[in-house]
Amino acid sequence: MIKRRTFTLLAAAITASAVALPAVAEEYPSERLTYTIAFGPGGGNDRMSRTVVDVLRQYDLYSGDIVVENREGGSGAVGFSYVSQKAGDPYRLTSTSGNFIGTPLVADTDWTYADFTPIGLLASDAMLLVVRADSDFVDLDAFVSAANAGRVTIAGSGSAGPERVTAALFAKAAGIEFEYVPIGSGGELVTALTSGSVDAVVANPSEVAGQLEAGTLTALAFSDSARSTNNPDVPTFMELGYDFSFSLPRGVVMPSDLDPAVQDWWIATLKQVVETPEWQEYLVKNGMSGNPIWGDDFATYLEETSAQYRATLVEIGAIKE
Amino acid sequence: MLADIAANLSLGLSIAASPDGFLFLVIGAFLGMIVGLFPGFGPAAGIAVLIPMTFGLEPTIAIIMLAGIYYGSMYGGTITSILINTPGESATVASTIDGYPLAQKGRAGPALVMQAIASFFGGTIGVILITALAPSLANFAASFGPSEYFLIIAVGLLMLTTMMGDNKFKGFISALIGFAVGTIGVDVMSGQQRYTFGSPELIGGVYFVAVAIGLFGIGELLHCIFNGQHRQPAKRLRISFRDKEFWPSRQDYYESRFTFWRGSAIGFIAGVLPGSGATLGSIIGYSVEKKVAKDPEKFGKGEMRGLVAPEAANNAASAGAMVPLLSLGIPGSGATAVLLGAFLMWGLQPGPLLIVNDPEFVWGLIASMYLGNMILIAMSIFAIPLFVKFLDIPYVNVVPVIVLLCVIGAFAINASIIETWILVLSGLVGFAMKKYGYSPAATVLALVLGSMAEETFLQTYIISQGTMNLFWERPVSLVLSIVLLAVVITPIALAVMSRLKGNAAKVNGEAS
Repeated sequence: MIKRRTFTLLAAAITASAVALPAVAEEYPSERLTYTIAFGPGGGNDRMSRTVVDVLRQYDLYSGDIVVENREGGSGAVGFSYVSQKAGDPYRLTSTSGNFIGTPLVADTDWTYADFTPIGLLASDAMLLVVRADSDFVDLDAFVSAANAGRVTIAGSGSAGPERVTAALFAKAAGIEFEYVPIGSGGELVTALTSGSVDAVVANPSEVAGQLEAGTLTALAFSDSARSTNNPDVPTFMELGYDFSFSLPRGVVMPSDLDPAVQDWWIATLKQVVETPEWQEYLVKNGMSGNPIWGDDFATYLEETSAQYRATLVEIGAIKE
Repeated sequence: MLADIAANLSLGLSIAASPDGFLFLVIGAFLGMIVGLFPGFGPAAGIAVLIPMTFGLEPTIAIIMLAGIYYGSMYGGTITSILINTPGESATVASTIDGYPLAQKGRAGPALVMQAIASFFGGTIGVILITALAPSLANFAASFGPSEYFLIIAVGLLMLTTMMGDNKFKGFISALIGFAVGTIGVDVMSGQQRYTFGSPELIGGVYFVAVAIGLFGIGELLHCIFNGQHRQPAKRLRISFRDKEFWPSRQDYYESRFTFWRGSAIGFIAGVLPGSGATLGSIIGYSVEKKVAKDPEKFGKGEMRGLVAPEAANNAASAGAMVPLLSLGIPGSGATAVLLGAFLMWGLQPGPLLIVNDPEFVWGLIASMYLGNMILIAMSIFAIPLFVKFLDIPYVNVVPVIVLLCVIGAFAINASIIETWILVLSGLVGFAMKKYGYSPAATVLALVLGSMAEETFLQTYIISQGTMNLFWERPVSLVLSIVLLAVVITPIALAVMSRLKGNAAKVNGEAS
């Protein structure tokens, strides 16, 4: 019996040292990386994640294999939950987007943004306030005075999504009232405006890029804190004197409980990624602004955005305090 | 104008008919047919899953292949509707109503050939109309706001009554079940959750595909087992191209000669409008066909026209949906939304300028659709004996295969187990519905259209400050409102008139 127990202990000790040793001795990274995408192929999150992975591979920024997997469902709930359960695993990456903040606020998920190690915000997805080019709203002030004189309708996709938050923050800053019309998808959103059913829409730049280029629609203002590198002619709400900004994080996060050295390694690596021409091309194609922030600053940003989002959802009655 | 069209098409053909273009078009069309065969793998899921296969191709070639998957799946999707009463997606639900009875009557061969011909006809008419009318139709689609959408969906919902079967009361109950399930998910107005019980999987609502596969596929299966069909020996069907029974009869062609045209026209118009084009098109196509028929009592019991109409319509609609996609950058359906994502991935900016900036791309794609439809009809007809052979297999061996296909299809929607449970539950409900004469088609279509109707109605309500005057103030809405009223009032008026006439005849009869 004793012999057996000694043997077990010995085996356990050997196993433990075998597991523990490489982490100290070997260089990071030494294993296969799994990049989980919490949404389906072809969508915005998928395109961003695959661009990051392509750049990592093309420039040999990551020495090992990289596996990309789509785990969609429940507006990101499923995929983000999966990654959050990998606490301490330094070989897991995932991309954030609006639902990374929004889904835990409206649904009973087993994770929030705080259950991840923040690496960096690579781009921000802010919203444009768009009107018909032939409408009377020549600029944002004209829109605000029209709202003060009568009644304006603003449409956006979803009832409690970032579009509504942007519209609500703008109305608060301008002291106006408006009717919000939630519309399902991007396509019907554009026709709601072109058909003259609503006065304005809050939209993601990529949803209206074609129409803006063709001159059938005009963007009055942009919700980020700085002008978009893509639509440099469109002023921000802040520039025009409406004191708010709102954007959604297109960033990279990892599971919690990581060695700070791993976090630093990825911050340094992704800083190289955002400098590549391939990444810059991605930003231009998808209508995003690239003003990256890293590590703790990214954590603060996530916290602020979540609080802003939450407050608006409470205000419109979508969730309780 | 005609010279322009010819120039554009020859530009397009130079790309689509190039060796590369043709090869990947054939691959896309073939994959599309296979994708369509799997219940649950509609065109949207099919394209999404196969996008990575096109990495490394030239953008135009890649999109030609993806588009081939898109309309190819429309050909394949009906095959399961006819053979095993399992529509893979909402656009082929209407095809089960007469398609499956045809197969049960031993006319699976003619039904499959006819659906291939109807698909070809609808698809080709659709592309011809795109070529000729795309710019003017784009403006029509852009003039559709929430009030117009609501009215067109309402027309579709009214048309549901024609496919409810003989017992209208049970059909009505079936539709109500669909509406009720449609309320699960996030309330469009307040963002509050309804009947989700805190489950993140239900926030997006109950996806109709799992419900459709369950109600039809599993429900039919349980019903057959309940009737003891698995104990019967398989019927030996000898099917080859040489058999006369393989081809549709002269009567089939003769009776449906106008059906092809009506179905295609209705489907195309429904497809151009963003929303649920192919589904609405197939419902309205079926319904109109039954209305104009002199012998409507034959429908639902294996009538060829009842299969041709929705098939021509849903293929014409899938072509029609390319109009807003190519000319406005507006996706009209789940599948075209995935295609739009693919455009962006290749750096093509969808919008009004796409056709100006990238004419090779747009015309190459349109030209490829002509070729694609020809390839698909040839492929379908060659493959039909294989599919019909399926009916030779003893039922007891078929059951596990169908169950497996259904479960894979439901699981594949979101790679989550919740859809599989929805499948099982709807299978039990589907069995009960079949047994007691309720209408699963009405349930599925009400589920698809109900939540759209709710959303667009509430949008109209907010925009018009609760007055609803948008429904008659906007010109297109006014026209649709009149159509809607006509649809409701005409049968009542006709009934009243015929009663009056009957009374008059009686009075006259008594007088003479």
